[in-house]
Amino acid sequence: MKGLLIVSGLGILAMMAEIFKFKKLLFPLVLLGILGAYVANFMEWNSGFSIAVFDNMIAFDKVALAFSGVILATAFFWFIMANDYFEDMPTVVDHFSLVLFALTGALMLTAFKNMTTLFLGIEIMSIPLYVLAASKKKDVKSNEAGFKYLIMGSFASGFLLFGIALVYGATGSFDLMEIRAKISEMGSGMPSFFYAGIIMMLIAMLFKVSAAPFHFWAPDVYQGSPTVITALMSTVVKTAAFAAILRLFMIAFGGVSESWSMVLASVIALSLVIANFSAAVQTNVKRTLAFSSISHAAFMLMVVLANLRSNATLDALLYYSLAYSIGSIAAFGIIYNVTKNGDETFDSFNGLGKRNPLMAACMVVAMLSLAGIPITAGFFAKYFVFTTMIGTGYKWLLILAILTSAVGVYYYFKVIIAMYFKQATTEEPVTIELSQKVVMILTTLFTLALGAVPGFVAEMFKF
Amino acid sequence: MGSTNTPTDYLPIVLMFIVALGFVVTTMVASHMLGPKRKTKIKLDSFECGIESHGNARLPFSIKYFLVAILFVLFDVEVIFMYPWAVNYKELGIVGVIEVFSFIALLLVGFYYMLAKKAVQWED
Repeated sequence: MKGLLIVSGLGILAMMAEIFKFKKLLFPLVLLGILGAYVANFMEWNSGFSIAVFDNMIAFDKVALAFSGVILATAFFWFIMANDYFEDMPTVVDHFSLVLFALTGALMLTAFKNMTTLFLGIEIMSIPLYVLAASKKKDVKSNEAGFKYLIMGSFASGFLLFGIALVYGATGSFDLMEIRAKISEMGSGMPSFFYAGIIMMLIAMLFKVSAAPFHFWAPDVYQGSPTVITALMSTVVKTAAFAAILRLFMIAFGGVSESWSMVLASVIALSLVIANFSAAVQTNVKRTLAFSSISHAAFMLMVVLANLRSNATLDALLYYSLAYSIGSIAAFGIIYNVTKNGDETFDSFNGLGKRNPLMAACMVVAMLSLAGIPITAGFFAKYFVFTTMIGTGYKWLLILAILTSAVGVYYYFKVIIAMYFKQATTEEPVTIELSQKVVMILTTLFTLALGAVPGFVAEMFKF
Repeated sequence: MGSTNTPTDYLPIVLMFIVALGFVVTTMVASHMLGPKRKTKIKLDSFECGIESHGNARLPFSIKYFLVAILFVLFDVEVIFMYPWAVNYKELGIVGVIEVFSFIALLLVGFYYMLAKKAVQWED
């Protein structure tokens, strides 16, 4: 709870930074604030004591705190990585406050107990992102990204609201626990529009995590947005959306899982196939990573599908989101530096192994982690997801996931091949800010460490 | 949640809708049927305060109009939140006062931000 309050306060503070002329101080202040929020979050985790506040609308229990921790840690790295992009902008304070407000929404999404807070969290997170996606005002692609994101996002929010209304109509409550109680009380006697409501909410949530067939906005938005904003979208936002899906479908609709699990399974299968095959034919790096994020979304959705078996599912999702977020921050940080001249194709990576060996090495680790090659975090993330899936009736999905991952290796290796085996057009070294270098090395080491001692981290998340 | 609500309880609302809609429809249809029609070019022209209209109305215009419209919505919504509080002022007691004032304080921060960012300053 304290984390949420600190971050939202920080957002308001950031808004005031320009007016009260402490613009220069803002970046260290924000970093300190995020760190403070993380520490407060950690203390709450250790005390193991949580109360529901605001009329039982929000409660930071252990699961919520764990996800908040992942989000805050990612946000911390993100801010260091993104500062170079924002530093020279006249509107840096507005950007920072928008990001912090999006972060507030993300934290709310980890801890909601009520449909109202779910909707509020989604809107608080999305609306700043619409603006941020379009924040390169002079760039047509960025404008397109913002516009598409806004239109499609509002449409999905409509679905969510309609779904909430139907579920409310059937159960008479917005409260997750009360909905759950009502379901177990009524059994199969729930009216049919209740199931329609569940599916509508599922559609809205699937849109937010850009799973196929609701993924059409993702490649355009990821490509058009400024690279650092894309990094934010594919890390913090994804983690929060998955925390929300897991919470919603595990707590509220866990009792009627047979009504939505088949839909979810087909969505996962579609996402795996469409994402990996589309990614293989892209020439734009950011677009490829957008499709890759769709396939990662499919993996994380598998955890939701395998829900309720044990706490292992929660550990798997946490581990996956951590591994994916850290890997993405490193990858996008490097993409940001490499594509500074505007060329976003794979060719921009040509000869990076010579032009900046350290960056190339970090990129290799990030790509291997995203592809799920052993000794990196990504491998164990996928491994944990697979182990949770083994106990379920969806073994065919497992086989499909392994097969499509093999396709995934192809496009991740395209970057590696470009870096080491292709001739660069220029020999001049790629420069990188010191702060970004630090983030890159830290995230790379973290990725390797997560892969080296996966049990340790999984143990940390035990509830 | 009172579960004693039956569809018939909503009958007055339905009636009100019918009356409200009926009034508009009836007057429009009646004036259309009863009134004399003498069409001239001047009468069919779009009327804009007596000034002769020329050109297309779909022109790009200053973003400042949008800004004012958005700001209007913002502070309009603020007032909507005041009404339920005003009605339940006594029941909510001191907690309600604190909550509403913190809401207004947050909004005032936004208001101050708007002024400081010169959102309503029309001349550069």
